[in-house]
Amino acid sequence: MALGSAQHFEQVVRAFSADLYRYAYWLCRDRFIAEDLLQQAFERAWKAWHELREPASAKAWLISILRNEHSRRFARKQLNIVEGEPDESEIPSIPSAAARLEMEQLVGLLPLVYREPLLLQALGGFSCGEIAAMLGTTEGAVMTRLTRARAALRSELQSANKRRSA
Amino acid sequence: MNCLEFRGLKLSEPKLMGEQARAHASECPACLAFARSVDESEAALERALAVPVPEGLADRILLRQGSRRRASRWAYALAASLVLAVMAGVFVATRETDSANHARIAIEHVLEEPQSLTTVYNADPEHLSEIVRGFGATLREPLGRVRYIKLCPVEQGRGWHIVFEAPQGLATLILVPDRPIAAAATASLGRFTARVEPVRGGYYALVTDSAGSTSEVGEILKQRIDWQT
Repeated sequence: MALGSAQHFEQVVRAFSADLYRYAYWLCRDRFIAEDLLQQAFERAWKAWHELREPASAKAWLISILRNEHSRRFARKQLNIVEGEPDESEIPSIPSAAARLEMEQLVGLLPLVYREPLLLQALGGFSCGEIAAMLGTTEGAVMTRLTRARAALRSELQSANKRRSA
Repeated sequence: MNCLEFRGLKLSEPKLMGEQARAHASECPACLAFARSVDESEAALERALAVPVPEGLADRILLRQGSRRRASRWAYALAASLVLAVMAGVFVATRETDSANHARIAIEHVLEEPQSLTTVYNADPEHLSEIVRGFGATLREPLGRVRYIKLCPVEQGRGWHIVFEAPQGLATLILVPDRPIAAAATASLGRFTARVEPVRGGYYALVTDSAGSTSEVGEILKQRIDWQT
């Protein structure tokens, strides 16, 4: 199968659309917008398909396009991504509910600056170095954000568990 | 590697435990327990992130990009036969299928907002009357106690998500303006059944937890709201 061909595009769409949709969903928390973002991203990807030289980088390339689409649409949200490391107090607390819903809510409430590297790692399977390259930051900064994001999730879940068992 | 380094690494790359980290965990029961706890929360995180992917997503992307034009010949033949089948007389069924998708989407929306069935939010009956009026319809009689009203993103726009107490139990009414549908249809997903009806202002979807309730509450809606179809 020729790289850059329509068949290759179809293969990539079928292989990655589910992960990319979930990534888009967790960026915007709306499934209609997520699908629209995905459509737009693949439309741009198809127009530039001949530029893809390395099959192994297709997923990362598509995620970059998707991130740009999301930034274009939610320009104000992009302002949440600030230089430097955010204060941990920005991570909000939420009331208890069932465990899965709690986790979903918590992930949704994480500021984008924490949520995005977490999604790229948990959904995309990318390493801290790869995420740093995608986000245009350092590997150390990504590790810090991931550590804080997971620590915040774990802390909230532990609090919720205690409340439930009390 | 010390405990601090181990825990930092475990929280930043939980699946990438190198030789040094494994050696530390084998000698430090506290860090081993910490690692297991992180693995558990990581599994919970992955379950939470795995939101359902819309059916036929990849197909819709490919259709939109037109790449199917380059599909293999057998795919062409299959597509052609499907087109012929449609042209041969399944027009009505297609309309119903399209509407049934809207019904399914309404149920998915309810599933995505479970708090709408457990919380009271913006529950002013006057709001309902105004919203219905804005939708081009008239509320003739109260529907029942309104529990939840929220403006939600729906199909490239926004629509009203309303939960009220019907005699049959909680019912969700979703008003989707300016999105005409071809026909009424019913769909079920999990324990929920939804009915969509085209009206002048767009369409509405009614979701309850059983087919019987949806049918009965649907009759109440028709009696108490003049939809001006």
